[in-house]
Amino acid sequence: MSKVYILGGAQTDFERNWKKEGKGMIALLKEVLTDGLNHAGLTFDDVKELNKENRVACFVGNFIAEKYTDQGHLGAFLTEVDPAFYGVPSARYEAACASSSAAIDAGATKIRSGDYDVCVVVGWELMKTVESSVGGDYLGRAAYYEKEGKGIELPFPKLFGRLADETLKKYPWLDEQRYMDALARISVTNYDNAKRNPLAQTRRWFMSYEQASTRDTETNPLVGGRLGVSDCSQVTDGAAVVVLCSERFLEERDIENKPVVKGYGHRTAPMLFEKKMADNEGSEYTLPWTRQAALDAYRRSGLTVDDIDVFETHDCFTSSEYAAISAFGLTEPGKEYEAVESGQISFSGSKPINPSGGLIGCGHPVGASGARMLLDLYKQVTGTAGEYQVQGARNGMMLNIGGSATTNYVFVVGKE
Amino acid sequence: MMKIQTVTVIGVTGTMGANVAGIFASFGDAKVYCVGRDIEKVKKTIPRIVKSVKADAIRKNLIPADFSMLEDCVSQSDLVFESCKEDIGIKKEIASRVGAVLQPHAVSGTGSSGLSIEEIASCYPEELRGRFFGIHMFNPPYTLPLCELTPTTYADKDLQAELKEYLRNRLYRTVVEVKDSPAFLGNRIGFQFINEALQYAEKYKDNGGIDYIDALLGPFTGRAMAPLATSDFVGLDVHKAIVDNIYENTDDYAHETFVLPEFATDLVSEGKLGRKSGGGLYQQVKYENGLKRQTTFDVNTGLYRDVIPYVFPFADKMKRRIAEGDYQKAFELLVNNHSQEAELCLSFLLKYIVYSLYATEEVGYSVEAADDVMATGFNWCPPLAMYQALSTVADVSQLIRERLPEICQRIDVGHYLADVKPSKYDYRPYFKSGR
Repeated sequence: MSKVYILGGAQTDFERNWKKEGKGMIALLKEVLTDGLNHAGLTFDDVKELNKENRVACFVGNFIAEKYTDQGHLGAFLTEVDPAFYGVPSARYEAACASSSAAIDAGATKIRSGDYDVCVVVGWELMKTVESSVGGDYLGRAAYYEKEGKGIELPFPKLFGRLADETLKKYPWLDEQRYMDALARISVTNYDNAKRNPLAQTRRWFMSYEQASTRDTETNPLVGGRLGVSDCSQVTDGAAVVVLCSERFLEERDIENKPVVKGYGHRTAPMLFEKKMADNEGSEYTLPWTRQAALDAYRRSGLTVDDIDVFETHDCFTSSEYAAISAFGLTEPGKEYEAVESGQISFSGSKPINPSGGLIGCGHPVGASGARMLLDLYKQVTGTAGEYQVQGARNGMMLNIGGSATTNYVFVVGKE
Repeated sequence: MMKIQTVTVIGVTGTMGANVAGIFASFGDAKVYCVGRDIEKVKKTIPRIVKSVKADAIRKNLIPADFSMLEDCVSQSDLVFESCKEDIGIKKEIASRVGAVLQPHAVSGTGSSGLSIEEIASCYPEELRGRFFGIHMFNPPYTLPLCELTPTTYADKDLQAELKEYLRNRLYRTVVEVKDSPAFLGNRIGFQFINEALQYAEKYKDNGGIDYIDALLGPFTGRAMAPLATSDFVGLDVHKAIVDNIYENTDDYAHETFVLPEFATDLVSEGKLGRKSGGGLYQQVKYENGLKRQTTFDVNTGLYRDVIPYVFPFADKMKRRIAEGDYQKAFELLVNNHSQEAELCLSFLLKYIVYSLYATEEVGYSVEAADDVMATGFNWCPPLAMYQALSTVADVSQLIRERLPEICQRIDVGHYLADVKPSKYDYRPYFKSGR
């Protein structure tokens, strides 16, 4: 079985509003594929050549372009981007906000099996094509729409507001004030981190602890239960590409020092939030399947939390990043606030989470987020993250979730 | 880093004063004395300041004051920022008052967009002159991070470096050091382009004038807003003040392009300044039933008429190419189309490159300064990125020699083009499709 290497990739500037630029998915995909292949040292002609021997394939991650841009059949759509993709095997993978992780998983599997030598993974979403209330309704389809989304204004903030409620319920020793403060600090850390990332959506925005911890105001209204706008990730247009390759390909091209996908975890929790919470009763974790996905990734990579120098997590809301802290094994379940209060997960801490800014700071084009996280791990372990480089990072872990932590994908990337 | 805990902003009821107060109170987390003529008006400005950075949390940092309290506020401040009317008399008077009570450790600055910083500095007591700088931000500073920092000959160099670091790392400004030259760098380049466009609106008045020129220099040429719409947005009075100042106090090869056309002078004297006065180069007519009509001033008739939806084949095709991310094909169309409109459009873009290189040598300290000011102060494709964009389809220096023979006679273009470097800005986001 071949190891899976990451050759390179690219993301678009998440600050961009493609509708305002008068551009659609073709322009988005053209830019990100050109940049991503270029960064990986490949050209469209290379794709053509590799395809003659059926050695290259494409894996497209996207949640719901059918709604946002009236377009399906997105794997095939790459042929509109460049004729180099004529004849290249390509399909779309969907797992809500974890769509591009499903695409990464498929690509990595094809490399491991030896079927292909180069797998181009592209995740994308254009979300500013509609008003945020309409977009919020579209996203409701990542939950059980009939029961949890339909006719409900902003269903997802409400679901993750319920996760906050459940967290407080599950850990009776957890003081509400302490919890809400930790959530505010998580938000501020993500905004601060984004300031160092030249491609982050919020890099020019203002956020402070006071602003984040004072909810229910005109500029920080409540959006889901006790969560405010400051607890919430962004509506983002964007795309990310990662190019995976086999050991054979590296040898052929005499390429060295590329990071490896060392392990993964993939677990699916009950779809309905209510069932998800009922299911956790026997566990110490609010999200036991998220924890299990991390355990699986540790087992497959042969690493422990001590070996991981940097994390990228799915902070669609501050309450989901909070739960991820113990799922990664950084603290005991119910003691996540310790890692926040001690500064352990801040940029200068011993275990930084989201140096990129995460979904709150960097932005969350839902179908692109998994690929964006993998790309950020690539940057960290190759020492190419620029101003947001975590010094000496050798191994990184990412968690990408779909729905209300229903699909859980974890990847470990590191130096050999 | 420089410790700035208390700031006084003078002239806070103006657009820039309010927005800059928001920047100090938010990113700077400073207590800000908000000084205006009328304290009731200042109090009414506070919500606007809060809104400008979308954060109620800064409200506690904003303290209303009037001019009778000026000395009190200044004597407690680590930094004083004056943002009054662009009138040298007023600015000097305030500088004298500030200078009399400024703390020895404090920094003082003016937001002037082009008056002589040196002259204002001279109103300070000798020992404080070195602590005074031009700190010119662009509107709105929350989204346009450019900050032109202008030292005077008195400037304390260590203090200047500290201030620069504070503006950059604490207030998240793109700081560009510029010389004390009329309008500084961003407006010198930007208004050369805008005013020449306005002159061409007069020259091509039989083709339609204002909307005709805007239609061929719109967002598809690397900017968010067409040049004359931009003038209408900032106001013809501001536009006039900037170009008059440059015309009177500089003399370069593009000198005549800073003359405001007569029709625009007339509009200013009639109070038709632009969007803020309900009409200027453009006028939006609103009907009771909610319908809106966009009209423009017709230079020929002196009357407002409906904006014409021009269709220029080259522009139309370029927009379609840009919409699909085929930038090279779009630039090919521009370079190879020889209609009057395409040639006008390309000559403007080439003149913009040349004038930017020229002006940054005169007013800035590096060629990159021109890129920074235009990208972060105007949101235009910056000149080096524009050069790079056109280079994907043509030899730009050759193109400049072919298309701008008059300018090539007046200056040694080769000298300026030798400074061209790859831009750190990606040109693609600036070229937009749509109107």
